[in-house]
Amino acid sequence: MTNLRTLLAALCLCAVGLLPVPSFAATELVLWHAYRAEEKAALEKVVAEYNKANEAKGVKVTTLAVPYDAYADKISATVPRGKGPDLFIFAQDRLGGWIEAGNTVEPIDFFLDDATKKRFIPTTMDAMVYRGTTYGLPLNYKVITLIYNKKLVPTPPKTSGELVTMAKKLSDAKAGRFGLAYAYGDFYYHAAVMNGFGGGVFDAKTTPTMNSPANVKSVEQVLKWKKDGILPAEPSSALITSLFNEGKAAMVFSGPWFVGEVAKGVDYGFARLPTLDENKGTPMKPWMTVEGVYVAAPSKNKEAAYDFAKFLTDVGAGKTLALEGRQSPANNAVYADPKVTADPLLKAMKDQVDVAIPMPNVPEMSMVWTPATSAMNSVLKNTATPKAALDVAQKSVAKDVAGLRTKK
Amino acid sequence: MSQNAPQQSPSAAGTVRASPNHDATAPSDPGPSGRSGGGNWGRVLVGLALALGLSLLLAHGLLVRAQADRGAERAQRKSVVALLGLTDLVQRAGGTGDAVGAVVAGWPRPQGGAARVIAFSGIKLEASTFPEDTGDKAAPRRLSREEKPLYDRGQRLRAAVETNSEEGGARKSEVESETLPSGGRLLSAPVQVDGQVVGSVEWFTPVLTEADPISWGPALLAFLLPLAACAGAVFALSRQGARVAVAAVLFAAGLGGYTVYSLRTLDAELRETEEAVSAELRTRGETAQKLMAAHGLDAEPALKPGAWDADAMRRPLGQLTDAGVPDAGKLAERGARVRGDAGKALGALGVLGLAVLLFIGMGALHRTVATAVEFRQAYAYVAPAMVGMVLLVFFPFAYGITLSFTDANLYNSSQPLSELWIGLKNYTDILGDFSFAKTAADGSLVFNYLNFYYTLLFTILWTVTNVTIGVTVGLLLALALNVPNLRLRPIYRVLLILPWAMPNYITALIWKGMFHQQFGVVNHVIRMFGGEGLAWFDSPLTAFFTALATNGWLSFPFMMVVSLGALQSIPGELYEAARVDGANRWQQFTAITLPALKPALVPAIILSVVWTFNMFNIIFLVTGGDPGGSTEILVTQAYKFAFERYRHGYAAAYSTVIFGILLIYSMVQNRMSRATEAA
Repeated sequence: MTNLRTLLAALCLCAVGLLPVPSFAATELVLWHAYRAEEKAALEKVVAEYNKANEAKGVKVTTLAVPYDAYADKISATVPRGKGPDLFIFAQDRLGGWIEAGNTVEPIDFFLDDATKKRFIPTTMDAMVYRGTTYGLPLNYKVITLIYNKKLVPTPPKTSGELVTMAKKLSDAKAGRFGLAYAYGDFYYHAAVMNGFGGGVFDAKTTPTMNSPANVKSVEQVLKWKKDGILPAEPSSALITSLFNEGKAAMVFSGPWFVGEVAKGVDYGFARLPTLDENKGTPMKPWMTVEGVYVAAPSKNKEAAYDFAKFLTDVGAGKTLALEGRQSPANNAVYADPKVTADPLLKAMKDQVDVAIPMPNVPEMSMVWTPATSAMNSVLKNTATPKAALDVAQKSVAKDVAGLRTKK
Repeated sequence: MSQNAPQQSPSAAGTVRASPNHDATAPSDPGPSGRSGGGNWGRVLVGLALALGLSLLLAHGLLVRAQADRGAERAQRKSVVALLGLTDLVQRAGGTGDAVGAVVAGWPRPQGGAARVIAFSGIKLEASTFPEDTGDKAAPRRLSREEKPLYDRGQRLRAAVETNSEEGGARKSEVESETLPSGGRLLSAPVQVDGQVVGSVEWFTPVLTEADPISWGPALLAFLLPLAACAGAVFALSRQGARVAVAAVLFAAGLGGYTVYSLRTLDAELRETEEAVSAELRTRGETAQKLMAAHGLDAEPALKPGAWDADAMRRPLGQLTDAGVPDAGKLAERGARVRGDAGKALGALGVLGLAVLLFIGMGALHRTVATAVEFRQAYAYVAPAMVGMVLLVFFPFAYGITLSFTDANLYNSSQPLSELWIGLKNYTDILGDFSFAKTAADGSLVFNYLNFYYTLLFTILWTVTNVTIGVTVGLLLALALNVPNLRLRPIYRVLLILPWAMPNYITALIWKGMFHQQFGVVNHVIRMFGGEGLAWFDSPLTAFFTALATNGWLSFPFMMVVSLGALQSIPGELYEAARVDGANRWQQFTAITLPALKPALVPAIILSVVWTFNMFNIIFLVTGGDPGGSTEILVTQAYKFAFERYRHGYAAAYSTVIFGILLIYSMVQNRMSRATEAA
């Protein structure tokens, strides 16, 4: 019987352990993010400023850096069950999925006044809107742009015609030199050309349009560039980095993440992606990813959380994030500061963002990547024509989307 | 705990195997409740009482539930009529302005009920009859911060209306209803002016219980009458079989009688509901006409009160005719459906009760209890494990299988599974799609990598090659290590077991890095010998090779350890004798070593087939299914369906199919290995 008693005692102990721990502190807000190094330091500095200013009100924000790999899943698992943070920072691509899943992201239209709305670059604000409702404040954005080797390219090309003539002169396939290098097989990079031709993956009603004439034209364009010999075959991101660092690629299309990989001795500059002569001079429009600050739906302190989100996306905080974290804030007023525009990377991002369009934030987007990548691969390996490959992709995406939207 | 062990030692010695014997001896054992002498009339009566009591209790519970559901449905439909009627008027008033306030004030409310109108433009409370919205909080005014949920609800309805019209379907609720903590119901509907949703109307009704309570009388009657009859019959009859048969007939009669009663009750209730809704509709329609005339509201298009009796998608239910009277045909149809459902439920109850009756009446319960009591120690020991298994294994397993019959996905995860039931469609979609390859224009074969049979074929290829490599390499290394007087043997052994000791995801990531096109060590070596580095993950064959190499590396140590152990247990005399007989090395290997290894290797191979078949980590981390899903195995494909395409039901069906395949495999394997054991 002593066994039984021990067992009972153990069970009681377990039950005690399950009891909720009473929480204290007036208003404690928890913010989750996935920043590292100087980006993290800049964010923490802003948070410290906010805490100091709001000490009297009893509001305190604490941050938690979550490893990026597990971040999205962690939010999906904890926030709807009320175990997550009060606020979190994430790119807009998962937004739609979280909204459809429910009880994750709080709509903020109610708090949002026009003055706050107007301070952001309009397209970054669009990225935060899902089905007509605003769910977050845009914090930073990332976008691809033209990065060129100043030694090889004295003045960057403005149009695709200039780009091709310039690149042809700089290309020598036998010596492994290329005028232009970018991961054109990767659909994310290809989107710049696709959007430039007026294409896209979804129409206004989120019906897939993978095989629209504009999309076909854009793939044909890339195929033509490849046949001109200005692009390397099988361009993995590692290959592009090493070509650029060895001075064998004069120009690349890439984003801020590329800057960290450029070797020290290379003198490089930024320019806006060229316009497309083939489509009446429309600019290439890359997809941008916007990191937003979201208020968690189960949060107990939504108003305080929104107040902090507002502070975080304000000019002052934006300047800190830009100058110390080297991120591109979505707040327009930050770029009025000459110190910010003196940074060539930030200036280039701002130049490019004016023609960028936000990557769709609908959950259907996750169904696009695999078919789109297969389509690009089969076109670039000459196993299918652009039209045929995109038809296959369209069929596949349409099937998946229809599978998701069952009608009652 | 063990004080009764001595008495029980004879039977406890054969605890597991003895249970059939035990059952056979039980009736002759004059236990406290076994009345073998005077027949088991007690069992029949107790059985009938229990079975009938239980079934009637459940049936009564079901009836009360159904009655409450009807009542709730009636209240809900009346509220929806009131809500949509008011919305109609608000829309005619343009959604904003004084007319809205007048209409809201003039719309009749039940005792304690209230209504309010929200306008999105300016985040305004347009009109309200809630008691708290008086004085300085009277409408119209801007919503206060605490009222954010009202605004959000309205915006949610707007998004739902837009989503449904965009997708041309009805996926999201356009009328939200929730039960408040106070017990009242709050319903809300969007206000649509010129096609745009400009606000919302909310309608509050305090809790109303409209269902008539069900009395216990009929249930009691259906219980006592058969029991009394049975008591008489049991004493008149002497054969146990006949007694049980009579009890069964009486049980059926009792439950049947109650079924007839409850179906009648339900039918009457149904009719009453339709009439109540119809009356509500008529009075509301008349009030609406009056209000429209009084406030000069837009009379075009003509008022159609019939459309107010609608479902959550604002689609008219069609239970009432345009004139607002119950449609006899529809009513009969609905009644038949309700009766069918109720009949099914009660039929199932009958089967269950009959099973209980037979279980008790024929003495099975008695024997079960006796066994449970006798082996109580064993059951006590097993109980914690059983609870754990039920919670951690059987429940998720059953849930997964249930999920596989539904169309659950990201969009409808909040709905109950019963509403998403699609039967075997997922299975027919998976197993019925044979388009796994087609010939391209130039005559080459193009595989459809998303097809189930392609993935199955790939998985089998993956398993067979992997196990072959693992066994071959493992066996060779074991033979090498088994050389007598090998120096430094422990060091080699440790080194060779290391790949197994490392967490396999770390190994997988290292190998993925080694096959990197630019910086990978494999391409470096190729370049050192003057070759051109390969883009390993760009073609299915090379990508398959990378995963194969990784898994081969991970799987040989296990086989090696198993074989080494078995090798060392082979007596050296056998080889000596073989040498005397003049057998060469190869003959020794095939005639002695391999047969001796068989008992150890066969289970190891069976195990490793199952592991490799479901080797998620390696495929997911090394190739990730690239290129284009061609190196996906069944488990990773199921993962992609669930978490990339968000089709949870489909992925569950996929997993169930995988389970089925492995089940068949293990059954076949079991039979075969039993055959090998016997040989």
